[in-house]
Amino acid sequence: MTRRRKRRLRASSVAVWAFLLMCAAFIALPLYVVVLTSFKTMDQIALGEIFSWPTTWTVAPWREAWSELCAGMTCKGIRIGFSTSFKILLPSLGLSIGISALTGYALALWNVRWAGTFLFVLFLCAFVPFQIVMIPLVVLVAQLGVYGTVWGTALVHAVLSMPLLTLMFRNFYKNIPRELIHAALLDSGSFWRIFWEIVLPMSKNILIVVAILMVTTVWNDFIVGLTFGGISAQPMTVILANTVLSQFGEVKYNVTMAAALLTAIPPLVVYFALGKFFVQGITSGAIKG
Amino acid sequence: MPIRRTKLAPLVALTPAVLITAVAFVGAIVWTVYLSFTDSRIFPKYAIAANWSRQYERLLYDKAWAGALGNVLTLSAGGALAIAFGFVVAALVERESRRESWFRTIFLYPLALSFIVTGIVWRWMFNPDLGAERLLRQWGFAHATFNWLADPRTAMYGIILASIWHSVGFYIALLLAGLKSIDKELWHVARIDGVGVWRLYVEVIIPMLRWTFLTCGILLSLGVVKAYDIVVAMTNGGPGTATWTPAYFVLNAYATRGNVSYACAAAVVMLGMTAVVFLPLVLTTTWQLKRNTARKA
Repeated sequence: MTRRRKRRLRASSVAVWAFLLMCAAFIALPLYVVVLTSFKTMDQIALGEIFSWPTTWTVAPWREAWSELCAGMTCKGIRIGFSTSFKILLPSLGLSIGISALTGYALALWNVRWAGTFLFVLFLCAFVPFQIVMIPLVVLVAQLGVYGTVWGTALVHAVLSMPLLTLMFRNFYKNIPRELIHAALLDSGSFWRIFWEIVLPMSKNILIVVAILMVTTVWNDFIVGLTFGGISAQPMTVILANTVLSQFGEVKYNVTMAAALLTAIPPLVVYFALGKFFVQGITSGAIKG
Repeated sequence: MPIRRTKLAPLVALTPAVLITAVAFVGAIVWTVYLSFTDSRIFPKYAIAANWSRQYERLLYDKAWAGALGNVLTLSAGGALAIAFGFVVAALVERESRRESWFRTIFLYPLALSFIVTGIVWRWMFNPDLGAERLLRQWGFAHATFNWLADPRTAMYGIILASIWHSVGFYIALLLAGLKSIDKELWHVARIDGVGVWRLYVEVIIPMLRWTFLTCGILLSLGVVKAYDIVVAMTNGGPGTATWTPAYFVLNAYATRGNVSYACAAAVVMLGMTAVVFLPLVLTTTWQLKRNTARKA
């Protein structure tokens, strides 16, 4: 009796494992195929065996994607987009984290009478679709004279992410015991000194989570870069999309796949290196405490 | 205990955030609504049109817009499938409880990829000459068709498959967290009482996770209304207008057709759709909070 049950259990366990492995394969195989394709020659790709191992490994597609890839009319490779994406990322990261951390701190630990109302408004703003604010923002950014520059795109990223990040900081800071702040106040600490010397050093965890969320959001963004970058400040994703959309004649799939991988590498590195924080970021980014 | 003493400094610190909210969110929304009543073409004009509701009337008769709204429903159905699939996987991973982090790493990595990269990857899989279709035929399935993106009737399913691939890990992570918060005692009690696994899930576990499911559902609908990048990367709206979404429609009206007020009108409808999804969330959370505080009292 017990033996039979054990065996049955094992059989069902095998079925479960088989199912889970199949699901994992569905998720993992596309990346596998893309990586292999990027190392194949076009002659081998023409055979159409997407799962086959490259017969001759070649890095030529990667080199071409990096420095010669054509997007629309220009053929300067994806490296320009790479540096543009970086130039957008850094200021938007600093700006958004600076404003949001400060706002979250003021709302969580200081007595602001309309804090509740403001938090509710921020909560609503975090869900607003981009398209409803897009056209006015284009006008405003153009009036500031930064349309079509990395600064304009970075500014828009910082503005759009402010509500969500502020809520995340606020939810983190409200768990700091107020007695601590109180003691610091008696110790003649000012609003700014308490933030700088007590609160910021305590916020390492939330800073990592928020930074990862921002890095992946900004790096993977397409629509903001498209609408605010003009033609002179196109981030990597926009160049990549233009490449695929403007392909005519013979398409070099290995180059396209290498370009897609080059675009995907930075967030993938972040994911595999800091997975725990990444998961925390996207889930709290999604539900907000 | 509230902190008093310095009153000015917190207000100074809050100024940038308040300004951003007032200008870039509230102001911009009012601005867009206003523009939708004008007849601005490439550049915004600020005189209300003689027939102020003209853009909205045009939307009513625009077949591409109707198609975009229909695609939102199709995408939502696909997303619901992803949630159901995600729940099955999460439940199995939880029951097995071995190699959980291993599975999670695999299931979640697509989330780190942009929709553009996801779209390009799947465009390649759907390629009729070189992708999965050719492979399936080589394997002996002579009539296998996997060229979904070229056919207006199936293109949307291609986008759904790619979206499921991209987001199922997220639902798995959320639902796994929900499953873990359930008391382990429950399993023992159920086993002792002789309750079958199936009944346990359907009658106990799923109702217990209703808030997690609700969160998944709301996030899904918000994402569906906004879907844009993946459409651009996979089909660029085609074939024809078969895979247009509201977000795609707005961008097309604005950037391709150069019709600002039409784009604004469509964006206003998008905002309305988001509100319809969002309002229940706000109401249920406040209701839940009230009930919890009432219980405590």
